[in-house]
Amino acid sequence: MSKSSGHVQVLTANRLGDGAVVFLNFDGDWVATLAGVVIARSPDEARGLTARGLFDAGRNLVVDPYLVEMREVAGVLLPLRQRERVRLDGPSILDDVPGYTAPAACPPSTATRATEANAAGEAKSDRGEALPRAEAA
Amino acid sequence: MYRYDEFDAAFVRQRVAQFRDQVTRRLSGELTEDEFKPLRLKNGVYLQLHAYMLRIAIPYGTMSARQLRKLAHIARTYDRGFGHFTTRQNLQFNWPKLSDIPDILAELAEVEMHAIQTSGNNVRNVTADHFAGATAEEVADPRPYAEIIRQWSSLHPEFSFLPRKFKIGITASEHDRSAIKTHDIGLHLKRLAGGGLGFAVWVGGGQGRTPYLAQLIREALPEADLLSYIEAILRVYNLHGRRDNIHKARIKILINSIGIEAFRNEVEAEWVRIKDGVLKLPEQEIARIEAYFAPPQFAARPAPAALRPADRSFDRWVTRNTHAHKQPGYAIVTITLKPIGGIPGDASAAQMDAIADMAQRFSCDEVRVSHEQNLVLPHVRLGDLWSLYQELKAIGLAEANAGLATDIIACPGLDYCALANARSIPIAQRLSARLAPRQDLVGDLKIKISGCINACGHHHVGAIGILGVEKRGEEHYQLLLGGSGTEAAALASITGPGFGPDGIVDAVEKVVDTYLRLRAGPQEAFLAAYARLGAEPFKEAIYASA
Repeated sequence: MSKSSGHVQVLTANRLGDGAVVFLNFDGDWVATLAGVVIARSPDEARGLTARGLFDAGRNLVVDPYLVEMREVAGVLLPLRQRERVRLDGPSILDDVPGYTAPAACPPSTATRATEANAAGEAKSDRGEALPRAEAA
Repeated sequence: MYRYDEFDAAFVRQRVAQFRDQVTRRLSGELTEDEFKPLRLKNGVYLQLHAYMLRIAIPYGTMSARQLRKLAHIARTYDRGFGHFTTRQNLQFNWPKLSDIPDILAELAEVEMHAIQTSGNNVRNVTADHFAGATAEEVADPRPYAEIIRQWSSLHPEFSFLPRKFKIGITASEHDRSAIKTHDIGLHLKRLAGGGLGFAVWVGGGQGRTPYLAQLIREALPEADLLSYIEAILRVYNLHGRRDNIHKARIKILINSIGIEAFRNEVEAEWVRIKDGVLKLPEQEIARIEAYFAPPQFAARPAPAALRPADRSFDRWVTRNTHAHKQPGYAIVTITLKPIGGIPGDASAAQMDAIADMAQRFSCDEVRVSHEQNLVLPHVRLGDLWSLYQELKAIGLAEANAGLATDIIACPGLDYCALANARSIPIAQRLSARLAPRQDLVGDLKIKISGCINACGHHHVGAIGILGVEKRGEEHYQLLLGGSGTEAAALASITGPGFGPDGIVDAVEKVVDTYLRLRAGPQEAFLAAYARLGAEPFKEAIYASA
């Protein structure tokens, strides 16, 4: 399915209400992290995900769904493109923005959670799966 | 400053109500994204990488303290506490919720602001010299003409679906601070041979994927014919501009494909047909609009003998960040939104509030936004400079770097923009920190950074331009040298192979080192040295160890 060996795809979009970056998980929910996301490992699975994205866009849950190519290293998903790394982790400069206030309900990115979990020796999802870990930008 | 009349106020309120209904229908699913997208774009709402983005028009970059306070309030209430001033003299909020945007627009309408035509294929916010109405260099204040164009172009039925977006810039000084030659139409207000005011009209400039400098289409256009001539240009463009290829849809492509002479012939033929019609500008109408821009009541007192206590930092700031005012005893002050290592163009709600207060107390209630992503207080008494400087220091915006190497233009880049290929802001921050210790030694130097080929960061006209591209999924940066957006406009040239995020900062430093080593003296500015030396010594330095 992917151009390079070891590459997989996940489905991403922006949430309709606030434009937030979201990914489709196994529960069929659009969530802000890579934890529990559906992974396409074959062209058939990719086509299925694409169809699901269009369906949910049609239901006005999300906007502009598309597949993102990832490397999967020891169970950890790493976006191939810098663009997708920035989408996943948010702007790289927010700590420097004068007056910036983080949103109250903004969940930490998967990368942050994974890093924190790894540091605590508990890098597992609710399903007992290893959480993805992003590369440093 | 222009004030809404009843028509303007009703029109903007009506537009807010319409958009509120459109957003409600979108959120309920009644409208699809395909149906909603053109509606939101007409109201300045984009969907960016992480959130919606709202771009608010600041006509010709002029606003009052009240309006700036409203922007601060919106930043604090609906966004994440800051806003980003752009190269089109606008302001962008990066994090609004779609459901909040109608309320934001309603708040803006309270202070006579809106976001109409800040996107879409129509005439965008008309930009003007940010020193307009204050500088002694101008023949007249260009903003009344910008306002006339704004009124004519707002929801113009014939030009609401142009082949592509359309940008107009205007200056009234020989020294062009508005970069008019990079606009679809550039207007230079001047005194004509007969003594009246008129325009040199430039057409077909633009940056982006295929940069061109504008060409002169008419040397002397009487002011009364301003609208009819612009309308003739837009009609020819609307008729012949390509709609089959977005990359070839701007007027610059049309003009460069058929030639300026053929284009001029078509425009003149159309103009002859319409010039004496309803678009003829009556003197009374020009005077009516000009009255809104009447100079403030300047205090009739000479400059004080001693302006300030002895303070070297203040001396530097006065030297770099103030400009001669046409009124004796006053200065134009540039507040650079470029603290060392900071984010170009960003201002917090607290900073906006503070600057609004300063504008009210020190600058006749006026603030300007420059296309270089700075703010300007246009009318400051010399005797108030010290107090103003102290207040700017208190909010971290007293950097004495206007026009220096750390006064960098940078687009939002890949940190925010859905079109970007590479980040711009972190490169600007690192360059700022790297070059700050030597910026006074280097002198005037314009560095401009774009995160993609669309060139919102004006890299084509940077003395040093940086273009972010994507190479095998990673950020990569091309280096360009020799550009200028002034009256001596020039497009920069790519030096050669590009660099990674670390390499581009080192490469710029090598360019600066080479300039300092080879310049004839401190009086020879970077662009003059580059013109004399050519690109080779800079390339040799950049690629010597590559």
